[in-house]
Amino acid sequence: MNPSYNPQTDIYIPIPNPNDPDELGHFGIFGGRYVPETLMPALEQLAKDYEAVRFDREFWAEVDYYYKNYVGRPSSLYYAANISEEIGAKVYLKREDLNHTGAHKINHTVAQAILAKRLGKKKIIAETGAGQHGVATATVAALFGLECEIFMGAKDVARQELNVFRMKLLGAKVNAVESGSKTLKDAMNDAIRHWVTHARDTFYVIGTVAGPHPYPMMIRDIQSIIGWEAKAQLQVAEGCLPDKVIACIGGGSNAMGIFGHFVGLEGVECIGIEAGGYGLDSKHGCSLAKGSPGVLHGQLSYLLQDEDGQVQEAHSISAGLDYPGIGPEHSYLKETGQVTYDHITDDEALDAFVWLSQREGIIPAFESSHAVAYLKKIAPEKIRGKTILVNLSGRGDKDMMQAKEILKEKFE
Amino acid sequence: MKKLVAYITTGYPDLKFTEDLALSLAEAGVDTLELGIPFSDPVADGPVIEKANLYSLQNGFKMKDLFEVSRKIAPHIDTLWMGYFNPFYHKGLDLFINEAKSSGVNGFIIPDLPYEEAQAYKPQIESAGLSLIDFIAPTDTEQRIGMITKDAKKFIYLVAYAGITGAGKSESLDEVVATIRKYTQTPVYVGFGVDENSAKEKAQGVDGVIVGSAFVKILLDESLSSAQKIEKVSSLARIIKEKINE
Repeated sequence: MNPSYNPQTDIYIPIPNPNDPDELGHFGIFGGRYVPETLMPALEQLAKDYEAVRFDREFWAEVDYYYKNYVGRPSSLYYAANISEEIGAKVYLKREDLNHTGAHKINHTVAQAILAKRLGKKKIIAETGAGQHGVATATVAALFGLECEIFMGAKDVARQELNVFRMKLLGAKVNAVESGSKTLKDAMNDAIRHWVTHARDTFYVIGTVAGPHPYPMMIRDIQSIIGWEAKAQLQVAEGCLPDKVIACIGGGSNAMGIFGHFVGLEGVECIGIEAGGYGLDSKHGCSLAKGSPGVLHGQLSYLLQDEDGQVQEAHSISAGLDYPGIGPEHSYLKETGQVTYDHITDDEALDAFVWLSQREGIIPAFESSHAVAYLKKIAPEKIRGKTILVNLSGRGDKDMMQAKEILKEKFE
Repeated sequence: MKKLVAYITTGYPDLKFTEDLALSLAEAGVDTLELGIPFSDPVADGPVIEKANLYSLQNGFKMKDLFEVSRKIAPHIDTLWMGYFNPFYHKGLDLFINEAKSSGVNGFIIPDLPYEEAQAYKPQIESAGLSLIDFIAPTDTEQRIGMITKDAKKFIYLVAYAGITGAGKSESLDEVVATIRKYTQTPVYVGFGVDENSAKEKAQGVDGVIVGSAFVKILLDESLSSAQKIEKVSSLARIIKEKINE
């Protein structure tokens, strides 16, 4: 069976999605716009501006030029023969780790920067957790000649110092955020505060499928190129749809990206993996498994919170998954049963980090290691003989310092 | 007479202090008290109020403390609860409405619940005889101002500039105030960045001012005793009340 398009030569353009939100950004009860009034005009305008380019061939042709020539898309779909043999399934890795800057984040920063440029904005800002989105934003700022400011929790600045240096090298200003838990959540608070003050001339490049409308829909549309490519690539390789599609979730952008073209297809199970941290009875980042609906960062979605509605700190070995919330569409997909959600602990993710490195010669990001680890957590009879698509959302280079510290006894 | 609304963060440094300060502010001529509900992620607030929120939570503030202290305060001064939406949503709006009614609190100010999202909750709040204060920002279009002012009650909270609380920026509001007046008789109060230096100017053409960070800054001054803090905040309130009515 041949796919009807060729990601090598065709241009990716989003298509209307059965799970699209209403005009005010609601996915069922989730999503919406819970922001100070000052931002409402900017968000209304952005929604209009995005609608104008959403299905516009000319806009996506410009994005496509940079995807193919700058990012290195389409990213390859790699049949991981060694681990496939070990677990008795056909495992395909969608190699977002091979993108320029090392993760899927560059997909949405390229498209958002082109939009920002079209809107005449001269400055872009972004929040970042692991630093991947910050690096990807600083990169496109350099590429398109935009001024760039990055907000990053002080704790993440310490544990991701290489990425901090990268951002500075690329010409961005990095603000270490000292408030709250000093991680992604607080970085996003400060980015919102900055944006409230500078919305007139500044484009906020949000790094995941979260925040006020239209961000969750817009980022999902952009990232859905991952699933669009993978679907066609798998058709060529195997002539079939995958039985399972697995991706890790912090805010949920790489997962929405790969799930987008598979949700609702018969015989395909999409599985999102939350950060289990020290375990579900301890500190973790499992907002879907252990949280409840709540409002943070401009959206209504599942949230880790106490009995008074105070937001709780998340924990994950991976800074990119260390977030107490999740994109609203994931909450909707969970409630409507369209996607399965599970979790992987820090220890399981570390095992998978070593496993994939040594069995396939691919060092995954700690985030992506959660998705890989699920191949071992899932019952063997459930995957035997099945075709499994795993989104390898990023590479592990950024995690080397931390991994070296944690694993030093094992490898010295 | 132009009105003065005072914001204070509940539970910092403790509940007894909040109660004493509120009663002292009532005597000082404050017309309405915004009793701030501490929240872990106050994104509309600048560093001063954010710190007070954080310290209050670190001191063990719980929502039941808000309800308890409100019963002692609300009989003496027109009181509104100012807080972010998540605690209302998580604990249930019914609870907040019931507690407000039983303690004499007159309404809510929720900075991250803009007009569109508020539509799902406003009828319930108003049919209980409480107010949900509407915000207008200098970034708003006339069309949006017309929409928001349509059902604005009690007063309109006009944000003085595009930014967070306590930033002390300045923007001309003449045009936006004129637009609001075209659509409604509801009083307009200006908040964000109002202190003793800017109060007179910011009160021009409007019906009142809302002061938060200027008071909370004094609460955070560790060189002062509790009694000194109350004295200093109250005398600042007296000065501001005079200046806006000069």
